[in-house]
Amino acid sequence: MTTLSLKKTTSAWIITILVLFIIAISFGITMRFNQGRDINLNPDTFYSIMTVHGVTMIGIWSCAGMMAVNYLLSRYVKTSVKLNVFAYAFTVVGVLMIWASTLIGKFHAGWTFLYPLPFRVAWAKWGTPLFLWGLTLLAVVWLVWAIGMVAQILRNYSLSESLAFQHLSRTKTPAKETPPFILISFVSLIGIIICLVTAAILMALLFAEYYSNGGFVNDPLLVKNLTYFFGHTIANEALYLGLATLYEIMPEVSGRPKFKTTWYVALGWQLSLFFILTAFFHHLYMDFVQPISFQIIGQMASYLASIPSAVVTVLSVIFLVFGNKIKWNIVNGLFFLGVTGWIIGGIGALIDATISNNIVLHNTLWVPAHFHTYNAMGNVLFSLAFFFWVGNEFVDSKDYSKFNKLLLALLIIGGFGFVIMFYIGGANSIPRRYSVYPKELNLGDILATLGGAFASVYLLAILWIFIDLMKKCIKVFSSAR
Amino acid sequence: MKVQLFVLILFFSSASVIALIAYYVFRSSQPTTTNKESVKDPIKKRGIFLFIWFFILAVIFSVTLPKSPYYIFTDETPNQVVYVAARQFFFMLANEPIEPNVPKMEKIEVPVNKTVEFRVTSFDVNHGFAIYNERSELVTQTQAMPGYVNKLRWKFKEPGNYKIFCLEYCGAGHQLMQSSFVVK
Amino acid sequence: MDIYRFNEKMYKSIFICTIVLLSNYISFAQESNYNYDEEKDIYKVISNVTIETEQGNQKLSTIYETSPTILVLIYTRCYGICNPLISNLSEQIQQLDIKKDFRVLVVSFDAADRLSDMERYAQQFDLQNDARWIFVTTKQIKPLIESVNFNPKWDSTIQQFDHNALLVGLNTNGYITKKIIGIRGSNELQAMLKEINNEFIVSYPLPRKNMLFSCFTYNPTTGKSELSIGLLVMLAPALITFIIVLSLIKLGKKQRKTLVK
Repeated sequence: MTTLSLKKTTSAWIITILVLFIIAISFGITMRFNQGRDINLNPDTFYSIMTVHGVTMIGIWSCAGMMAVNYLLSRYVKTSVKLNVFAYAFTVVGVLMIWASTLIGKFHAGWTFLYPLPFRVAWAKWGTPLFLWGLTLLAVVWLVWAIGMVAQILRNYSLSESLAFQHLSRTKTPAKETPPFILISFVSLIGIIICLVTAAILMALLFAEYYSNGGFVNDPLLVKNLTYFFGHTIANEALYLGLATLYEIMPEVSGRPKFKTTWYVALGWQLSLFFILTAFFHHLYMDFVQPISFQIIGQMASYLASIPSAVVTVLSVIFLVFGNKIKWNIVNGLFFLGVTGWIIGGIGALIDATISNNIVLHNTLWVPAHFHTYNAMGNVLFSLAFFFWVGNEFVDSKDYSKFNKLLLALLIIGGFGFVIMFYIGGANSIPRRYSVYPKELNLGDILATLGGAFASVYLLAILWIFIDLMKKCIKVFSSAR
Repeated sequence: MKVQLFVLILFFSSASVIALIAYYVFRSSQPTTTNKESVKDPIKKRGIFLFIWFFILAVIFSVTLPKSPYYIFTDETPNQVVYVAARQFFFMLANEPIEPNVPKMEKIEVPVNKTVEFRVTSFDVNHGFAIYNERSELVTQTQAMPGYVNKLRWKFKEPGNYKIFCLEYCGAGHQLMQSSFVVK
Repeated sequence: MDIYRFNEKMYKSIFICTIVLLSNYISFAQESNYNYDEEKDIYKVISNVTIETEQGNQKLSTIYETSPTILVLIYTRCYGICNPLISNLSEQIQQLDIKKDFRVLVVSFDAADRLSDMERYAQQFDLQNDARWIFVTTKQIKPLIESVNFNPKWDSTIQQFDHNALLVGLNTNGYITKKIIGIRGSNELQAMLKEINNEFIVSYPLPRKNMLFSCFTYNPTTGKSELSIGLLVMLAPALITFIIVLSLIKLGKKQRKTLVK
């Protein structure tokens, strides 16, 4: 049962996420133009912007996934609006803390805040604790939120039902069905809980060193493992939450029967939970001190992670669409485009997850290239599709607007043009996270300018979408019921 | 063909194929197109796809894994060791081990077509140690992590001036961190 | 089969597998008495001096060319570190039960030592009949110790050399592939045995301060790196999540019961 208060909360999330998104894109464009030497920022300003860009993007799209799942969960289980409001309020506080530490305090250790860089203070002294406490707050609040949602699922479904174990049999039809949405949400929320617990432990380790005045020193190797476990997993799970909404909404808006949980869907998603927990090792390929077996597991898990997603989700979407008369609209259009972008980014990721390629691609622009592909042209589009769908719920309409051709063109040209500049840069050994490029690598300059220009086109599309959505989002607040 | 060019071509061609498939699938769902039928026997198709995809991944895995940096030039005794210690925001390169409290920077020359071992560490934060050739192509790299020494072995096929850049974000001077050595 | 129990079993076995896997990957030790001189002369060829053995004079290369060699520099009059160095080394080698082919060549750097002194010295450690151990002297002490950067100083007041405990690892081409200064754990020795057999070890740790939860710790009594709390920290999130989910299941059941009532 969706209530008006749930709609209002969801609407508040959407408005906040989109506003933050637009600002964060503008930061991104600013960085690209600075790298292209079209504008001239101080390095510490550049890196502060870089830090806030990364942490905002990861944060808002994790929230978008979580709040979408929260909204749709209310179809199957009793959800708590209070918990949702609590998450929203403290997320805003956390974001404000992080923005203050980076934009005012000039904290610029990167969103990955790789130990011991946050402690080599080259900014306002209060920047480090404010940033770390801001992140801790977000981690704890989202942890409570995710645990709450898992508890809500477990009230209606047993553990094995939540994991769709009863669907593994190929012959028997189970007594109680687990919708794919419940399965995927559950698996992803478990992943999110694991990575947020990791974040909490990581923060505890960092605070122990920070407040003991050198009494304790951390192991850089351990902290690096924890950092990437957290960072990689949250980005990955955010995308999986987006896929959960796709499973739920896409058939519905396309006039096709709902997706069913079959044995391969169940198995695929169960497996993905395990692959995702070891795939992060691919961030440490160039740390030769990491045991070699971990590196091999990293490459293996990164490869295997593609199997459930490709064989299950992508083929499901293809089978849903292929040869069937689909009522195309903005919602399923964005989902379909998002799946395409996700796969293309996935190929870029697989290439980079190969150790022998990684040695020449690691920390070049290839890295932002692939993750911007499956975020900006994948996960973001999944969430936007949800926003459009829920926007119609806000105004009680089943009449979804068409995908405007100009908007589609802006998205595709802007989005892919933007990431292609990254790919070309990566293949030309241009490093990532440079405020400006040294003269030997000045090919990066022109690529950056072009990338910034394409990103501006993408921003236009997002502004268009923002204006479209705002009309519906604001209406919820004026509804009496 | 160098790895970077190969992967770029691989990426763009697979991206194009994916885009074409997506477009084809999309077209098949238009109300105007006729004679298209929805997919028959999807489980079998999934099975075939799973098999092909798994096979491709397994082949790539077994071909690429031995080329990992932990396995290359391992059966040779290096002709030269170069010690590298990174700091915010410079590299120290020396022919002798570098102690944290005794900064040491030497002009480094290494032989062409001989195995060289770089012993790379950091004295403050995480840094990257990436070697670029004269055409500004990334040749090889490792991370410089405080408290640990990573051994990077390489055989330089071309003589010339090689540049070193930092490839792990290390603070506001990250983009300025560089050094160089000569391959003769 | 009860799927719920199956789940639990599955999680349990996955957990155990992970622990076993992790424990197999222990690869390095951490020690405090690290000497940066250990890295001097790496991959340089040792001076091919003539040594005096029971079989007569021969070149050093005849030893290391037949099998990889650990060269130990001692003198028999030593009251200091030489004795513990040899006894520790021989103990570690026995404990490790190494299948790899290698020799230990003990060379005196004291011109006063005769071959007979070295024989007696070997007997002291019951090593005179061990084919792996060779005790020799040389007339060319200076080029030998210079090529491995070993600088003993004669202290005439106590009639003793002031010197380091040094092990030099030589591969079959006479290259110095690793040095160990001071009496160290068996992990260092294992690393040396790998390196004299031309196995590539990709990294090693440097001395550090009191570290909070490192992934591996060195145990001085067993001389091995052990799983330390750091690895548990890496496993903790999954375990904590498992506990959270279990308690949520309990909670869910309770709530369902009250709903039914």
